[in-house]
Amino acid sequence: MNPVLSVRDLHVSFASEAGTVRAVRGVNFDLMPGRTLGIVGESGSGKSVTSLSVMGLLDENARVEGSIRLKGTELLGLSELELSKYRGNEMAMVFQDPLSALTPVFSIGDQLAEALDLHQDLNRKQVKERSIELLDLVGIPNPAERLRAYPHQFSGGMRQRVMIAIAIANDPDVIIADEPTTALDVTIQAQVLDVLKKAQRETGAAVVMITHDLGVVAGVADDVLVMYAGRPVEQAPVDELFARPAMPYTMGLLGAVPRPDRGENRRLVPIQGNPPSLVDLPVGCPFADRCPLVEDRCRTAEPDLLPVAGRPETLAACVRADELAEQGVTFEDAYEVAEAAESTLESVPRSEREVVLEVEGLKRHFPLTKGGFLRRRVGTVKAVDGVTFDVRAGETVALVGESGSGKTTTLLEIMKLEAPQGGRVAVLGKNLEELSTRERAGLRRDLQIVFQDPMSSLDPRMPVYDVLAEPLKVHGWSRPKVNARIDELMKLVGLNPDHVDRFPSQFSGGQRQRIAIARALAVNPRLIVLDEPVSALDVSIQAGVINLLEDLQAQLGVAFLFVAHDLSVIRHISSRVAVMYLGQVVESGDTEAVFTAPRHPYTQALLSAVPLPDPQLERGRKRVVLEGDLPSPVEEIPGCRFASRCPVRATLPADDQRRCDTVLPVLTGGDDQLAACHFPLTRTSAGLTDVRETTRA
Amino acid sequence: MGRFLLRRGANYVAMLFVAVSATYLLASVFMDPRSNYLSRNPRPPMDSINASLTAANINDEDPLLLRYWRWLTDIVLHWNWGLSPDQEPVASAVATRIGASTQLVTLATVLAIVIGVAIGVYTAIRQYKWQDRVLGGFATFFLVIPTAVLALFVVIAAIYINEALGFRLFYVTGLHSYEGDNPWLWLLDLAQHLILPTIVLTIIGAVSYHLTQRTYLLDTMKADYVRTARAKGLPLHLAIRKHALRTSLIPTAVNVAFSIATVFTGAVITETIFAINGLGRYFVTTIVNNDINGATCIAAFAGVCTLVGALLADLVVAWLDPRIRIS
Repeated sequence: MNPVLSVRDLHVSFASEAGTVRAVRGVNFDLMPGRTLGIVGESGSGKSVTSLSVMGLLDENARVEGSIRLKGTELLGLSELELSKYRGNEMAMVFQDPLSALTPVFSIGDQLAEALDLHQDLNRKQVKERSIELLDLVGIPNPAERLRAYPHQFSGGMRQRVMIAIAIANDPDVIIADEPTTALDVTIQAQVLDVLKKAQRETGAAVVMITHDLGVVAGVADDVLVMYAGRPVEQAPVDELFARPAMPYTMGLLGAVPRPDRGENRRLVPIQGNPPSLVDLPVGCPFADRCPLVEDRCRTAEPDLLPVAGRPETLAACVRADELAEQGVTFEDAYEVAEAAESTLESVPRSEREVVLEVEGLKRHFPLTKGGFLRRRVGTVKAVDGVTFDVRAGETVALVGESGSGKTTTLLEIMKLEAPQGGRVAVLGKNLEELSTRERAGLRRDLQIVFQDPMSSLDPRMPVYDVLAEPLKVHGWSRPKVNARIDELMKLVGLNPDHVDRFPSQFSGGQRQRIAIARALAVNPRLIVLDEPVSALDVSIQAGVINLLEDLQAQLGVAFLFVAHDLSVIRHISSRVAVMYLGQVVESGDTEAVFTAPRHPYTQALLSAVPLPDPQLERGRKRVVLEGDLPSPVEEIPGCRFASRCPVRATLPADDQRRCDTVLPVLTGGDDQLAACHFPLTRTSAGLTDVRETTRA
Repeated sequence: MGRFLLRRGANYVAMLFVAVSATYLLASVFMDPRSNYLSRNPRPPMDSINASLTAANINDEDPLLLRYWRWLTDIVLHWNWGLSPDQEPVASAVATRIGASTQLVTLATVLAIVIGVAIGVYTAIRQYKWQDRVLGGFATFFLVIPTAVLALFVVIAAIYINEALGFRLFYVTGLHSYEGDNPWLWLLDLAQHLILPTIVLTIIGAVSYHLTQRTYLLDTMKADYVRTARAKGLPLHLAIRKHALRTSLIPTAVNVAFSIATVFTGAVITETIFAINGLGRYFVTTIVNNDINGATCIAAFAGVCTLVGALLADLVVAWLDPRIRIS
């Protein structure tokens, strides 16, 4: 069989002010019809540039060399006009951000029709029929009506379905999907991946799936190409790669991902250091500086991607690959895993620890107004509508939920330290409603925050010293004390104290997040609120920050309120979890209990949507894929908020269904696990790794 | 749609009323038409000054609110915008100037928009190529030289051409000089007068539309949806024309609509150099002459232009952008 797409010795470079950026350096692969190739790598590894150069969509200042053959035709060197005959016809692409990928001023129908008209000779009626057929295929309800809708009337997941419909409109032979689900929530990600698989089945196309998420790769790919610093460093069939990685970088990646399906509290394996700059690459293997198995010969010449002895299907770019494969080295052998710090509060049972934060029935509603001159209220957005949880000293409580579930609003309400609109918030036993101005200022010290994006949360014009000194000065520390404290803080978060005079832009993303953590720790707070602290970081960097957070908690006994959407990170780091849906906590309790035996059907669906970085488990899994999208928070829902999408409700007799629709369930259950559901799942019915059909209690 | 327009219209009438009343009151407080008479030599007798001022309803010895009330009732009941200190009716003076300004400005505005947007699009697509750099250089040049200088250069060039040809092809002052009845000759005569000021106004307008449209298009050209369009199989230039251009026209359309008022009153320098009695010059004259009623009348006209512009902007944006149309 001939490959549909064959890339040979692809080199891409860009001219930049700093010099020539060598973004891709020698990529080779063959894509067989109907197969899926996963390209994995961290940011800057050259995976997206590779895909864009195949499509010929790079900026004009890119220099592309090598060979890209689509069904035998050389694409490099073709003019824009010639290339456009292939784009959308024989090869198609799905992009990362569905919110910006569709033209806002044209209807969905027009945009689909455009794709059809460009490559096929159809009359209006045929175009319409085919469009309806395509929208139906990707699972958009009422396709005939939706053709007239505009992109802004669709949710993110729905728009990505439209993008897939456009991509498969002309039955392409190759579909390139560049991080197609990265911008989506997990339950929506599961839907979209299903649609993509279906589209592949229907068209028989080969797929190039570009992603940083090893779980997604494990679920969809047949073969995997791992990229590092613009070069492929390992290529293997998916099972082989996950079971027996041959190259130390791949091992490190696999060791750095927290597992959503395992409760054991193993330490994550961070890869030391940062990827090299693509402008100024070192001689030899680009991974050498971070590699635990580095030898002198690694630094003399860059290794080629060669077959590994004894594993005919695996290629690796490592001089020691044969040797490592023979010895069966895994990441546990290769990487040194530092012992976790001993916790000072380990011996104190939870019930005896001090409550640092208590939130009960918290409400935050926003009025929705209309009109310019005389505003009138047309509705209420119930962003937070009954959130209850507590945080005790030295523990990590996680708030999980999809976008729009009210996690961030909850955090902001707590951080305001003002009387809430409804419900009760108490910090360190002090009710916010009865707080005097001075007490409030004092409490600010005990409550600190770390934001998601370390690029924008640090003032770019302030050296690190000033960033760290600011909170201390506000709380009246003397200068010598401040200096000593900053030294201590830098060491605490694993940074060199001599670097305090540098600016944030001189640090990498992971280091910047460490600075943000140091700033939060500066005044010895009792509780730190972390809003998606690791979601902007690459896997290998993320592992280091997670380990740091765990150690800091153990040493200092500080409590964390951790907001994240990544369930694997949450299972790894938190001891208690509260699952949010549309402004309410639907389930809360001990993390292990919730993850192994979720009682609320939403929790179950959420957990089953998480892709596992294990191809064998992924294949055997049966998912609870939720229908539809999150309802609008403006909607008036008298009963259970989840009823409209609930798979359990659908199986109930009419009487019980009415109860779901009309009576709002409250959190009930034992102390370890509470669920707000009239018909909770039993302990045995379904956990994350359990693939049996759900049964009702 | 009808209801929307009606509501907007009512809002605008209210806004206009407030704005024009405020202008009248402010002008009455700050302008001193009495000084026009006092500075005459010989000075007229006090009684006759007062009589003239009262006749024009601008006597500062009458209570302000009484003057305001008279002024307002005259407009509402008789559509009479009052008299200037020289006892000339303001409304007819403004009306003739609106006519002159319209002749002067209309063609130039249309040309400026069409040429400016076209060059903007052309240079945006060729960003940093020689065409972009050359046209950008011209734009910067015309942006920095003062209108008066530009206009004088145009005049000098026209006179040079006239002399070289041996007959007067271009007129450098006024709008009309033909006095016969033949409409074609009248039109030809108008064109001969208009061409020079139109060149000046077109260049000034086109340069700013060129630069802003270029920026707007560059913003949308890099948008993800243009890449999507290319991935579908549209070649780059078509993808830009079909997908990026329309969204990038939205801010330009708003600019155009809102500039209607300034177009009428802002051509002061050009009007002065080409000796055209347009609104811009008249506006300056009313202020210098302490002509309270005249200044207010022009402010009212400018207000109407602005609001018509705002309404047009709303309509154009709604037409270009379905997100606004639907919600």
